[in-house]
Amino acid sequence: MREVYVVGTGITSFTRLEYPLSEIAAYPAMMALKDAGLSKVDHVYVANMGSARLNHQTGLASAVVDTLSLTPAGAEAIENGPASGASAIKQGFMAVASGLHDVVLVTSAERLREVNNLEDTDFVATLSHPLAEYVYGVTLPSQAAMFARLYMQKYGVTERHLAMVAVKNHDNALLNFFAHLHEKITLEGILDSPEAMTNNPYVSEPLRFYDCCPVSDGGACVILATAEVAKKLKKPMIRLAGVGQATDTHCLHERAEPTDLLAVRGAAAQAFKMAGITPADVDVAELHDAFTILEIVESEEVGFFKKGEGHLALERGETRIGGKIPINTSGGLKAKGHPTGATGVGQAHEIVLQLRGEAEKRQVKDAKIGFTCNFGGFGNNVVCLTFIRED
Amino acid sequence: MSTDVEKILRPIDNPIPPFPPKYMKLASGDEMVIRQVGREDIPDILRYVEPLIHVERDYYDIVAVRLYSELLAYYRYRVQDEYVLVAQIDGELAAVVNGRLLSKEVGMSYHTVALRRGLRVGAHAFAAKMEYHIDIIGQKEVLIVAESPIGFRRWMIEYGLEKRFHMAHELGGVPSWSLTKALFDQARDTLVVGRRPVPPPLLEKAKATILPPSDPPTPPTDLLAATRSLYDSTGTALMSQRWKQERKG
Amino acid sequence: MALEIFAYQCKKCGQLHYPYRMVCKKCGKNEHNEFDPVPLPKEGKLLTFTNVYALPPDFNVAKLGLGIVELKNGMRVTGQLKIPHPKIGMEVSAKIEVVRESEYSKNYGMVFYPA
Repeated sequence: MREVYVVGTGITSFTRLEYPLSEIAAYPAMMALKDAGLSKVDHVYVANMGSARLNHQTGLASAVVDTLSLTPAGAEAIENGPASGASAIKQGFMAVASGLHDVVLVTSAERLREVNNLEDTDFVATLSHPLAEYVYGVTLPSQAAMFARLYMQKYGVTERHLAMVAVKNHDNALLNFFAHLHEKITLEGILDSPEAMTNNPYVSEPLRFYDCCPVSDGGACVILATAEVAKKLKKPMIRLAGVGQATDTHCLHERAEPTDLLAVRGAAAQAFKMAGITPADVDVAELHDAFTILEIVESEEVGFFKKGEGHLALERGETRIGGKIPINTSGGLKAKGHPTGATGVGQAHEIVLQLRGEAEKRQVKDAKIGFTCNFGGFGNNVVCLTFIRED
Repeated sequence: MSTDVEKILRPIDNPIPPFPPKYMKLASGDEMVIRQVGREDIPDILRYVEPLIHVERDYYDIVAVRLYSELLAYYRYRVQDEYVLVAQIDGELAAVVNGRLLSKEVGMSYHTVALRRGLRVGAHAFAAKMEYHIDIIGQKEVLIVAESPIGFRRWMIEYGLEKRFHMAHELGGVPSWSLTKALFDQARDTLVVGRRPVPPPLLEKAKATILPPSDPPTPPTDLLAATRSLYDSTGTALMSQRWKQERKG
Repeated sequence: MALEIFAYQCKKCGQLHYPYRMVCKKCGKNEHNEFDPVPLPKEGKLLTFTNVYALPPDFNVAKLGLGIVELKNGMRVTGQLKIPHPKIGMEVSAKIEVVRESEYSKNYGMVFYPA
């Protein structure tokens, strides 16, 4: 296998974007091409989850490659639920590593806000099992809530811990120009004041409004290339050193231990093994915190902390910028935003900035090794990536 | 002669009890005061409502145009039995809500406009308005419509309003929904918040001046400005975004 | 007619599955449709639950109770709850009722009540 490097990256603001879907994919791609100093690529992957259903558009990759005037390069759209982004990066990795292509552009776009929030709730709920979950009114927040209730009871995690994740990620997002929510929140305002129940009502008990990610539009892009190409481009050498993916049962209720996220554990282990590192080597990580509980649980399942101790590390401030292992410096899905299909590429964008030392006010000092965890469905299809800066 | 015509045109308001001011803590930790304003405050508010007329998103434009006319009509005595409540954070105008009395027993809700997005500012202000009609004035029901889908979801579904489709609402003549006292009593615990009395320094600060909202909804700035600016030799798109962000911080 | 929700039992090894799958998860023999439908028991214990307030457009209610129940044969199912104050571990029993209606289609499923 050939080694694969990230040579360029770009992103849009994650917010409501009133632009055609293909432009949302094309802008970060233009930004990434400019960043890399390239004008041609061999192949294009476009990560997206809902174009057909939400935006009445199919064959998105053909539209994007033409919008960018990159024809006749090959182009495909990749759909793997909310893990589409990392899946597309994985496809790009395989294309370069295998020797099929030298330069691959992996862009992404989602435009959830084209429909109203009721329809978005339903759209995302279609990830669940059609006959055993969806018909009952199961939504992603409700799955996360049933999971959280068990988890909190078993490991002593409280609503305060969940709120602490939200406050931390909102604080980080204030330092990120591209984040969806530039909104300072406090524990007092969302948990302790007499008005907290109204400020921060339950979406699905025990998860509240500020435990859930916003509904965002957005796009992000990375360009992957061989070592030979990367060396010519004079950017810091960021190697995509490990990819891992694992799946779990479609239904939440079928998992032997319902508080385990085995797909996260498996995908992370593969990504670390391929890169030849351990979780303790990681300097900065982006975890899929569509719900605050997930940041805590994933931080354990990927191996940063022991099972059941993620919330204690959070209490000690180890996951803040400046802590032992800063998590979601971008604001995470919680505050940076969650344009479903684009999220995984957005996570990679943040890690590339961090490893290059270009993360401005939220820079993690001397970050050399970065990690992302992109979570599809409710933990039934997880893709993890490891990035290493080589000097 | 002219005085006589004015006498005919100018409605005489029925006496209603004033809205006792209240305050609450927001998710951000800021304290927000909700209080009633009189005619003398209207010009200050109009100034900040006017720019929203150009914001198409979430029907801000229609709502702002209508609210502007309602406030103006109140100010210049061309509407009967109207009241206006404002929500202020640190003196800044965060939300405006208004309505009027259709009869002694039935209220008519006009508009709820949040000038600060997020933090459920609009929800608090709307709840205060319902509290005014039902608890303070003592009405039996309030007729409501929503112009925006956000408003519809929030009010019609959260409160579970009853249909009064035989009654055209004054806003656009569309079928009305009704918040009855019984429904309000059910929703009270989760939706109506606020503490009274407002500590005097907080209330005085709010009354002193209605300050402009620091981050009101605006017509879309170029949301892809950062990316577009790479191809914009003047860089103005990016600069204007940066300035906007710096003002926020 | 009594309505049932079925589990699917592998004809080779006896493993029960809910929901249906086309290949047995235990013996893994790729013999399509070699399953016997077996009605799921109606009684069980509540494993976890939630009240959902943000619902898709098909549901015109302010909140909906959902839970995962461990049935007395050890199978787990997701279902709706009509239980005023649910508690983890409580005994529940199901009725098969309409759980979702959209346009002309009705979906039946398990609705749990206090046992």
